[in-house]
Order: sequence, then structure tokens, then C-alpha cells
Amino acid sequence: MSSERPLLDATATTPPTPAAASRLPPSQPEPPVRADHLGFSVEVPDPFRRSRRDNRDQPPDLSASRRELQEGGDCESRAVVVGEPSAEFSGNAIRTAKYSALTFLPRNLFEQFRRLSYVYFLAITVLNQLPQVAVFGRGASVLPLAFVLFVTAVKDAYEDFRRHRSDRRENNRLAAVLAPQTASEFPPKKWKHIRVGDVVRVVSSETLPADMVLLATSDSTGVAHVQTVNLDGETNLKTRYAKQETQLRFSHNGGVGGILHCERPNRNIYGFQAYLEIDGKRVSLGPSNIVLRGCELKNTSWAIGVVVYAGKETKVMLNNSGPPSKRSRLETQLNRETVILSIMLIGMCTTASVLAGIWLLNHRGELEFTQFFREKDYTTGKNYNYYGVGMQIFITFLMAVIVYQVIIPISLYISMEMVRLGQAYFMGADKDLYDKSSRSKFQCRALNINEDLGQIKYVFSDKTGTLTENKMEFQCASIHGVDYSSGKDTRGYSVVVDDLLWTPKVAVRTDPQLFKLLRNGGTNVEGKLVLDFFLALAVCNTIVPLVVDTRDPRQKLIDYQGESPDEQALAYAAASYGIVLVERTSGYVVIDVLGDRQRFDILGLHEFDSDRKRMSVIVGCPDSTVKLYAKGADSSMFGITNKELDSVRATEAHLHKYSSLGLRTLVVGMRELSQPEYEEWQSAYENASTAVLGRGNLLRSVAVNIECNIHILGATGIEDKLQDGVPEAIESLRQAGMKVWILTGDKQETAISIGYSCKLLTNDMTQIVINNNSKESCKKSLEEAIATIKELRVTSTLDTLNPVLSSESAGVVLALIVDGNSLVYILETELQEELFKVATECSVVLCCRVAPLQKAGIVALIKNRTDDMTLAIGDGANDVSMIQMADVGIGISGQEGGQAVMASDFSMGQFRFLVPLLLVHGHWNYQRMGYMILYNFYKNATFVLVLFWYVLYTAFTLTTAISEWSSLLYTVLYTSLPTIVVGILDKDLSKSTLLAYPKLYGSGQRNEKYNLNLFVLNMVEALWQSLVVIYIPYFAYRQSTIDMSSLGDLWALASVIVVNMQLAMDIIRWNWIIHAFVWGTIAATAICLFVIDSIWFLPGYGAIYHLMGTGLFWLLLLIIVAAAMVPHFVIKAFTEHFRPSDIQIAREMEKFEALNQVNRSEIPMRTLS
Amino acid sequence: MDSSNAAGTSNGGSGDGDPAAAARRNTKMPKYSKFTQQELPACKPILTPKWVVSVFFLVGVIFVPVGVVSLLAARDVVEIIDRYDDACVPVNMTDNKLGYIQNETISKECTRTLTVTKDMKQPIFVYYQLDNFYQNHRRYVKSRNDAQLRDYKKANQTTSCEPERTTADGKPIVPCGLIAWSLFNDTYIFNRGNENLTVDKKDISWKSDREHKFAKNVYPSNFQNGGLIGGAKLDSSIPLSDQEDLIVWMRTAALPTFRKLYGRIYVDLKENDTITVKLDNNYNTYSFGGKKKLVLSTATWLGGKNDFLGFAYLIVGGLCIFLAFAFTLLYVIKPRKLGDHNYLSWNRHPAGR
Repeated sequence: MSSERPLLDATATTPPTPAAASRLPPSQPEPPVRADHLGFSVEVPDPFRRSRRDNRDQPPDLSASRRELQEGGDCESRAVVVGEPSAEFSGNAIRTAKYSALTFLPRNLFEQFRRLSYVYFLAITVLNQLPQVAVFGRGASVLPLAFVLFVTAVKDAYEDFRRHRSDRRENNRLAAVLAPQTASEFPPKKWKHIRVGDVVRVVSSETLPADMVLLATSDSTGVAHVQTVNLDGETNLKTRYAKQETQLRFSHNGGVGGILHCERPNRNIYGFQAYLEIDGKRVSLGPSNIVLRGCELKNTSWAIGVVVYAGKETKVMLNNSGPPSKRSRLETQLNRETVILSIMLIGMCTTASVLAGIWLLNHRGELEFTQFFREKDYTTGKNYNYYGVGMQIFITFLMAVIVYQVIIPISLYISMEMVRLGQAYFMGADKDLYDKSSRSKFQCRALNINEDLGQIKYVFSDKTGTLTENKMEFQCASIHGVDYSSGKDTRGYSVVVDDLLWTPKVAVRTDPQLFKLLRNGGTNVEGKLVLDFFLALAVCNTIVPLVVDTRDPRQKLIDYQGESPDEQALAYAAASYGIVLVERTSGYVVIDVLGDRQRFDILGLHEFDSDRKRMSVIVGCPDSTVKLYAKGADSSMFGITNKELDSVRATEAHLHKYSSLGLRTLVVGMRELSQPEYEEWQSAYENASTAVLGRGNLLRSVAVNIECNIHILGATGIEDKLQDGVPEAIESLRQAGMKVWILTGDKQETAISIGYSCKLLTNDMTQIVINNNSKESCKKSLEEAIATIKELRVTSTLDTLNPVLSSESAGVVLALIVDGNSLVYILETELQEELFKVATECSVVLCCRVAPLQKAGIVALIKNRTDDMTLAIGDGANDVSMIQMADVGIGISGQEGGQAVMASDFSMGQFRFLVPLLLVHGHWNYQRMGYMILYNFYKNATFVLVLFWYVLYTAFTLTTAISEWSSLLYTVLYTSLPTIVVGILDKDLSKSTLLAYPKLYGSGQRNEKYNLNLFVLNMVEALWQSLVVIYIPYFAYRQSTIDMSSLGDLWALASVIVVNMQLAMDIIRWNWIIHAFVWGTIAATAICLFVIDSIWFLPGYGAIYHLMGTGLFWLLLLIIVAAAMVPHFVIKAFTEHFRPSDIQIAREMEKFEALNQVNRSEIPMRTLS
Repeated sequence: MDSSNAAGTSNGGSGDGDPAAAARRNTKMPKYSKFTQQELPACKPILTPKWVVSVFFLVGVIFVPVGVVSLLAARDVVEIIDRYDDACVPVNMTDNKLGYIQNETISKECTRTLTVTKDMKQPIFVYYQLDNFYQNHRRYVKSRNDAQLRDYKKANQTTSCEPERTTADGKPIVPCGLIAWSLFNDTYIFNRGNENLTVDKKDISWKSDREHKFAKNVYPSNFQNGGLIGGAKLDSSIPLSDQEDLIVWMRTAALPTFRKLYGRIYVDLKENDTITVKLDNNYNTYSFGGKKKLVLSTATWLGGKNDFLGFAYLIVGGLCIFLAFAFTLLYVIKPRKLGDHNYLSWNRHPAGR
């Protein structure tokens, strides 16, 4: 499921078919062996074992896809008769909609009630319907739940409606399907009626309706180009092939036939194994023979294929599970407080019910004649609503649960969702997160982890496309030991074809000396070598030149399409020097060599693989010599070179120079094959490519045999440009206390040089390199590393206070560089623990040559062992697993397109946006959300405690003086809106301050805004304030004529004012919206009380009017608020002045900027030291 | 966010699939406004020492005088309380108070003598006070039906009035429910010497209740006819809106010790005046150990005699003044320059980088 990004030196696609069908037995090499299912496997932890972070959903894809890859081994699992639609398999109709009109209600309700909070809600509501237990009126108690359910249902219904619409449109599209019993009639058929086994004809620019194996194409060699942008977001064209057998068969008699055996449907879009039984022969099929639903046919006038997977079994549908749902850290932590509150709830209910029982026992004999109790109903002569003390205790308990339920703030979840929505809006609207160059906006794809952005401790970054732009630019070449790196003039080079001017799309700066040498070449040895060098660049690749029309009818553009941006850069470079690749078919390439068009036969091609780390191509040249061109990583190329010491040494020196400049390097080599050598190779190659078993290994050994005695032509340096602002961004992140790890597929030298250029590595760092080829040696170097670290620590910790920070404080900064090979031995074994120890001691970690799943493994290494939050950022399909594994996954919506973005929680255009995103929005989100949660706990606890104290004066019968409507509206209206608005709008510090002092980010990492202490403090405040609210009126109205409704209104209003005042005291920035909501809410509460007390059939009719007419009421309100707020005010005033947090000081700095301007100049120096 | 992208993968229109991704790339630059950039003009209050001290001082300065005034007002109120539930039981019945109160043949008349402790200006409020009577008991509070009281056509609506809904033969009781059934029925007649002090029983209930909650055309029926007499009987010729004792009683008290207005005496009383009260001790509080008290009280703008509010203001006000001084002292002893970079944690421990 995750593609290895094209490594620096080769591509990962299947090559063109071996030359002409007549010369070579038609057959395909095995699918390329990919690093990610080759020599190692990354331990993907079992979701059940990950107890420490158990609430994080494990992305299902990793393990699932691994399993499926293994299952893919048996090809027998599906047999498709070509041309005979089979009803046995899933049809092509798709259905992404969840509901139908009939099933909507039950299914939607079921979905909604899968949330625990709703079940709690429901249980309380149901409980309230029992007549003995009923606390609230039936209507009133159902209302909140009904409201929430209704709103959610409407939202779901609308989303589903949209899905239905798009399903319908998709299913009713038309495709040309071969009519049964005919040979060449393709009447249109709706997509939903296409079945496995149907033969479908697709024309250029048409979308493929299902996963199909190509049978024939308009190209005589069976080539078809597809664009897979819908599938993996990559815009370049991919080449697919029809088998010669079927291609020929089709062109001869138009008929098809045979039985196709293929693996079961799976989600690996880069893998496919099958064979076709045709005329008693087995033709093997690989991933290069299948085209997938959702892709578009390009540059091929038509193609015919047989459907093998349809509908929901297509790869695109199987890959279409939305991003895994993650839960934010705060939400997980909040469970702990919920448990505490539940215990409080049970405690309160128990207290109330036990006291009620005691009261009943004490008054046992009196209940009959006591006027306010009167046990019996004399019309029936039986007890009325009294079932004995034991039962009464039980009923009281249940009633207490209903009355005090709000202490567990269910509305909090709804508030949190609304706050996140608002935060997401503001993040998306931030102009600092808008990428002008790609015109992409910041996007919140996951709506439930906004606040995690404020607590990140580890940043895992992909390199290519994330730190760098992934625009490869050919910079310099070393040819035969001569360095040509002074490229200056950008001269577009064009070739003339059929009186038309064809110009390569990208011009590369050329070195004039080299250019001249090439012009005069052909005569001397040097010139020939240079020519061979560029021929190698033009031929030894899998680039497909596309000719694009321009506005000028006499001019056309050559667009090189290929999967590796490095190869593109090299092909454009060759073109700029006058060696222009003009045409490529499966059997030959046409190259315009300095104006002379020549045809080179491609006799064979050896794929890149991660063992050899090189690719090679056997070419039949126009002068009828046979040559092998190879290119690959220096380490692999120098091992197979013939001995030409001087030039090789010079080349090596140049390579070193290039990679220390941060360039990606490749070594290019050539070998002339003699006729016997060629023939020997040819027969071996034929045998290997037709082998049924172990084809890949055989081909590899053929390649290894022929790739020897290479004459090194030279090396290339390609620049992978850093994105804007990357070094500064990394510096900011590190200042903010985050550890930045770079995980890249590049080789060590390149990774290190990029590390230097983005200031991750500096010269004063001690580098620990782990680069081994066996488990034992890995173990040894890890142990050595630990020993080194210990040694450094011992010498350095003496004078430091804080051991955690000692690594940096003592000036010993460690950088760890791990190689992918070593990770193979480390990640799945017990060495993990050691690596973790070493890695956490280092401030910089670079992992090079890592495969996609290893990236996820590294993230998991940290995530499973610490409580620290991890963030992964990447842009390519190879980053998907890492993005899904990390607590927060960010996709860069850049060059490589969609797949990473699809899997991510947030997407944005540039790496440097990480800084405002984390330091500003993350900080805000975290502090807002943390405060909002605590405040919600506090305000509900205050209210519940107010209710609880009153129960002590009602013979423990759970009467509420506050009217039931006010009780219900308390959470819904009286106190909810201000917290939501504050949660969206309040900000503790301005953007500029947060950016200027990255260390302020630490408050989130240290959980400063939400922790158990704050929770306890809030609960104590709730306790105090509830006592004040209850007892001041209690003592003032003791032995008076005060009636229940009036006192209830006073309590309600006082509670609302107190909790809103608490909020008001904690608000940091008052803008008009916050003013409106805070004061508006208090006004709205008063209005509601008036409205409720104007309803004649409620007992409280007229109470508030009477109450407000008395001076006592106003005096009480005033003193309640004052007495309730004094402790909070004292704590605030004290801590802010005598125990100030960094944030507090920064706030003061903002406010008194002008005062401190004078000594400003020296200050930034200190803070950044 | 959801899986709707599948459908969109290959059509050109909607869905979250790639067409959307393409569209995403072409989104417009967000519009700049102070709102979207979260830069609305805002006030950022900070608790500077000046503010803290001023707030405390201000609160103190306001609260202390308010406290003094409230205290004086409460001290002005003259209140005479007389507990009579025990005293009115004949000596021979003190062991069987329940028998006494339930025995209809025993006369419940009782005479109490009160001495005025201080001059009392009219109007003098006459209250009865019940202790330990849970008018806020859940089964009691619920036992009423307001529809019935307001509309004579709805006399049959007795839902939630259990256990006092209907008579044994099923006729609806008006007013139904425990609250009405338990209506207080002690009566008081006041004399100063030979002078009868008339108790004005008009306007003792809320006007809103008389006008909107209890109708003029609803008359009591089948009331207090059941197996157990809870309290007063009602004159079935007087509409509910004029039964002010009932209206007062039905405004259920918030706390188990409560007073209800009985009437007003519009006569000034002098210090050492002796007042004899002839009362009918009908109401049964003996069954649950409740107390009955007769209260004569004057009133001020603040209500009755209650020192609590005044003390509360004095305490809070005094505390605030104390805090104002305490904080001033603290600020002087341990001053801190506001917004000084040197206090940032990483500058305080420079080693901590």
C-alpha cells in the first residue's frame, strides 16, 4: 500500500517489454521487488498491546495490508473467464452511502448511540420516565437528548444524501463493454452493470470503470499510459502493458479467451499477481498489466481489458477507508476526571439516599399523620408511593442520579466539537497558513485533535517534498574525472521533427565547456566518453517523452513523464546538452543526438532494486554494438567497476563534494558487450523472465552477472532544493522544545548534508552513526553509543540542575544517524529499547534509507514508550503509514499530491507553516480547550453542589428549588455559549509574541493548562462557590416567608452570575464578541427566569417579580458574587504576581511593551541563547 | 473525514476525492479581516498590583458601610416570638399530645400573653412559624394541580394530586392535593387590655396569585371530606381567589422552618404593652414533632429581623480591606517588575537552555 518513493538512483516501475516480440519470448519481468516487502518487516504493534495509549486508534491499514500481501501469494483464489461475465463476484455498482431512506432512522440512531455519552444521556432519560423516579417532567427531560440526536441526524442525513448523489452519478456512467457472443461490438453499458469477466474498451482520457487486466491496446507493442492521480495523487503517467499473447491474438482475430487466475481482492495498489491460461500456456501477469478503477487512460487511443475486480472489490475502494479516527490527548486525559466525577456522583447519590433512609427510619411511626408526607391514600386505603425504607433508599438513589447527572458534563462533548469547528475555521482562514505558490489552504481533515497541536514533543519529518521542494534540478556532472559544475547559460535546445520544432519543457543550465566538448566530440576519446555519458542519461531510464501541443502550431513541447523526478531531471539535462530523447516504445528509443536521429534497441532492462541499488539497460546501438548502461548509487557502482583508478578516484572526490553540498548523486557507467557475452546474457535473461518460480531472484542474478566490469563514465549531482524557510522553521521548533527527526529514503551522506543545510545538524554536535549489517554489530554499536552518552553525561551533569535538559545544557549536543539497514535489525527486536534510549538522549535524529513501514515503526518506537506527543509530516505515499501512526499526521499538499493528504489529519502547503500552526494555533487551541474542559467541569459541579446542599433541607427528598426548566437550561443556555465562544476566540498571547518566543510552547508540552492539580483546584472553587451561593441566602432567609420558587430563582441567578464571573476573570482578551456573549448570557438567564415565572401553571408564577422588588435580593446577589469570587481573585492575583508563568510574563510584556522598549535590545539575545 | 471520497474518485464533480483535492489546490487566498485573523481589537486586563489593591479596597469601602446600614436596619426591627405548641397542651395531656390534637371533643382554645419589648410602629406583621415542617418535601410539593385552581371547567383535573385526589366515591376534590389539604388552621385573636386589635387579613397573599393563579369563579368542593382531616376547611361559598390563607399556604416555603403571613395589625404598640392572644390550637404538628410559633414583627426595607446580611457585608468588606493591605505589603516586600524578561523560566535558569 505504500510505495517506496523512487530512490535517488532508480525507478520502481516495470520496464518496457523486451524488445520486439519476435526476438524475445514475450514475457514480463516480475514486479519490482520493493524495499518494503523485501528483507525486513516492521513490527507494527498489535492494537491491543498498546495499552499505554490505548485510546488512539491503530491505523488499520498497516497490519491489514501486510497480511494481504502475504495472502497474495496464492494466485488461485479467483478464476475469471475472459469475456464471460460472472455473477459470482461483486458487481461494479458502488455504494458509499451508509443509509437508505428505510434504514436511516434505526441505523443512524444505532450509530449515534455507539457513543458512550449518548448512552449515558439515554439511560438518564429512560430512568426519568419511571413514575416512581421521575424528577423532571417527561417533555423537559427528553428535550436535550432529542435536540442533540436531531441535529446530528440532520447532519448525517445531508452528508449521506451527497454520497447517494455521487454514487448514483458514478454508477450510471457508461462504458463500452464487449457484447457477449460477438467479437468486436462494444455497446455502451452502465458502470453498475459491469461484471467481473466483462471485456471493456476504454478510449483516451476516459476513466476506467473497474480494475482490469490489459488485453490489447492501440499500440502494437501493447503499451498504455495511465494517470493515477485519483489513486495516489501522483500526476505523472505510468506505463502499463498488455501481454504480447493477448495483444497478438486480439489483433489477429479480435477474439479473446482464456482463463485468468488472480489473487483475491486486496488493497495493495502496487501489487498484483496473476496468470492467464490461454491456449494451454500460462502467461504470468504482474502489476504492470493491470489498470485500476479511477485511473485515466492517456496518450493511448484505446485499450481493451478484462475486468478482474469490480465495485467494492476494486483497489481504490478497498483503499478508501477514511483517515483513522484519533482522539486527542486532552480527551483521553479527560476520562480520568470523568471517573473522578463519577465517583463524586455516586458518593453524592449514596449520601443523599442513605440520609433519606435514616430520616425515614427516624420518622417511621409518624409518616401517616404528618401532613407533608401522608403515607396513605384514603380513597384506596393503601400506601401511596411508599414502598418501605429499603426501596425508598433505592428510589432516592436513582432520583439522585437523575438530579445530579450534570456533574458529568455531557454537553462538554458537544461544546468541544463546536469549539473545534470554530478553531478549524480560524486555522483555515489564517493567511499565514496559505500557500500562495500552490494556492492551497490549510485544511483540518480530522476535527477532533486540534488541541494536540499544542503539545507536540516529537516531529518526524519526511525529507523529499517536505523539507525540500522535490523539484530536482540537474546541477553538475563529473565526467571521466573532470568536474563540470559551472552551469551558466540556460539555452533551450530544440530538435526538428517533421518540420516542427520540439523543445524540452525544462531547460537546464549548461556548462559551456562541456557543451563545446560535446559539439567537437566524436573525434577524441574524451568527447566519446562525454557522448556516452549523456546517452546513458537519456537511455538508462524509464522516462516516456510526451509531445504536447503549444499555442504556436509549429512548436511542440517534450514533456518527460516518469516516476522518478531524478530521472526526469537527468533526461532534461541530457536534452539540454543536445541528446534528446524523442520517442520511447517498448522495444526501442529514438534519440536525437546533436541533430541526428538515431534508434537504439532496448534489448533488456534490469530493474532497480534495493539490493543492487542500481539499474541497467542493454542497448543495441545504431552502430550494431551492444552496450550496457548502468546508473546507481556510488556504493553499488564502485563495487562493479573495472580498474581505472585515476578517473574513478577523481569521480569519488567529486561525489564527496557534491553530496556535502547537499546534492543527490548518481554514478553512471557503461560496458560494451561482446557478441558471446551478449548471447550468453540473452539466453539467461530469456530463461529468467519466463520462469514461473523465483523469477525475481533469477532476474536479479542475471543482472548481477552482467553488471560487472563497468567503465565509470561519471557522476551527476542533482539538487533537491530546500523549501522556503525550512532552516528557520526547524530552529523555531527546536527552540520550542520539540525534537525534530528526519526520516528519509536518501542515503546517509545526502541526508547528513541536508541536515546541515537545514541547520538541524551543526558542527559542534557529536554524531553517533549506526550503520551496520547484522544484528550483532547493531547491538554492539548501540551499546557503544550508550556508553558514550553515559560518559558524556557524567562529565556534564555535575553542574546542571535539570537532568532532562542536561544534554543540551552542558554543550554536548548529540546527533544520531541511523541507517535503514540497521533499523531492519533493530526495529523488530529487543534492540528497540536500546535505540530508544540512545535516540531520546540525542537532540537530533536522522534516519536514512528508511522504507515507508520503517517510518511508521520509528514513530511507534517513540509513541509506545513515552507519553510525549508525536507529529509526522510528509507529502508522499511513502509517508502515509507514518502519518497514520503518529498522534498528529500532517500532509503537505505539494508535488506528490493526494495520498499523504488523504491520510493526514491536517494538510498544508509548506513545511514552514508548521511553526505558526504549532506555536500559534496549537498553543491557542490547547490552552483554550484545556481551559474550556476544566471550566465545564467546574461550572457543572458548582450547580450540582448547589442542588446537593439544598437537599439537606428537604428531608433528603431531592426537591430542587431551582425550577426544572432552569435546571435543564443551565447547561444548555445559561452557561454554555460563553465557554464555546471563549474556547474559540480567547487568546492568551498574540501571534507575534508566540512566534518571537518559541519556548512559550512548552506550556502545552508540560500539560500546564490541564492537569489533575488544576482540576482539584477547580473543584475546590466549585465547592466554595456553591456553599456561598447556598448559605448566604439560607442564613439571610432563615425563618422568613421566602418561598421555594423565589429562593430557587435567586440561587439559579446567583450560580449563573458566579460561574460567568469566574469565566470573565479568566478571559484574557476581551473583544466585543466575548463581551456580548458573557454579559448577554447573564441577561438571557434573567430573561429566561422572567419567562419561566410568567407561566401561570408553574409553581413559580410571579416569583421573580416579587423577588426583584425587594432590596434584600439585590444585596444578596452582590455579596454572593463578591464572597464567591474573593478566593479566585486572591489566587489569581497571588500566582500571577509571585509565581508567574512564562505566559503571564509574556502577557505583561505585550501589555507594557512601551515601558520595556528601552532595554529591549539586549533581551532577545538572552532569550535565544 | 468520511469515506465519501470513493465515489468522487473518478467523477469530475463532487465528493472529497481527487477532484476535490484538485479544487483544494486552487482555493482562494483566505480573505483578510481582523475577525478571521483573530485580531479584533481587544482589551487585555492584567492584574497589576495597582488594580488588585484598588479592587480589594473599593469592595471593602463599599461593603463595610452597606453592612453597617443593614445591621442598623435589622436592629430596628422589633420581633416578638411566642412558641405555643407545647404550652397550649393541657397539663394532663402532655404525654399524649397526639391524642389531644386528634380528639375533636377537647377544646383547643388557649390564651397566651405577650409583652411588647420595644415600641412597635404599625403595620405590625403577624406570622405563624412552623418548625420541622417540610413544605418542600418532594411528595408534598408535587401534590397540587394548578389548572384546577384557575379554571372551574377543569375541576376534574386532579392529576398529580395524589394521595388527595378524589373523595372515596370518586368526586374530584377542589382544591386537590396535599398542600391544600394540609392548610394551617390555627387562629389568633389579639387584645391589648380590653382593646381588640383587629388583624387585617386582606392582601396577605401575592396579587399575582390572586389574579391569575386562583380564579374568582372556582369554589372549593369536596374539600376536607376524606378519611383524615389535614387542616383547615374552606368555606365553599367563597371563591378561591378570596381564600387568602390558602393562597399564602400554597406558596410553599423553601425551608423546613418558615413563617407565613397571618395578617397585619395597624396599631402602634408601646413598650411593656401586654397583649393577650386567644388562639385555637387546631393544627397538628405533634405527630412529627414540629413547633408552632406566633410572631409579631415590624419590618424595614430589608425585611425582618436578621443580622446575618449586615455581618456578612462587614466580614467580606473587612476581609477585602485586610487583603488590600496584605497585598500592598506583599508587593512592597517582594516587588516584581512587570513584563521583565528576566523572569521567564528559561532566563531564570539559564542552564536550562
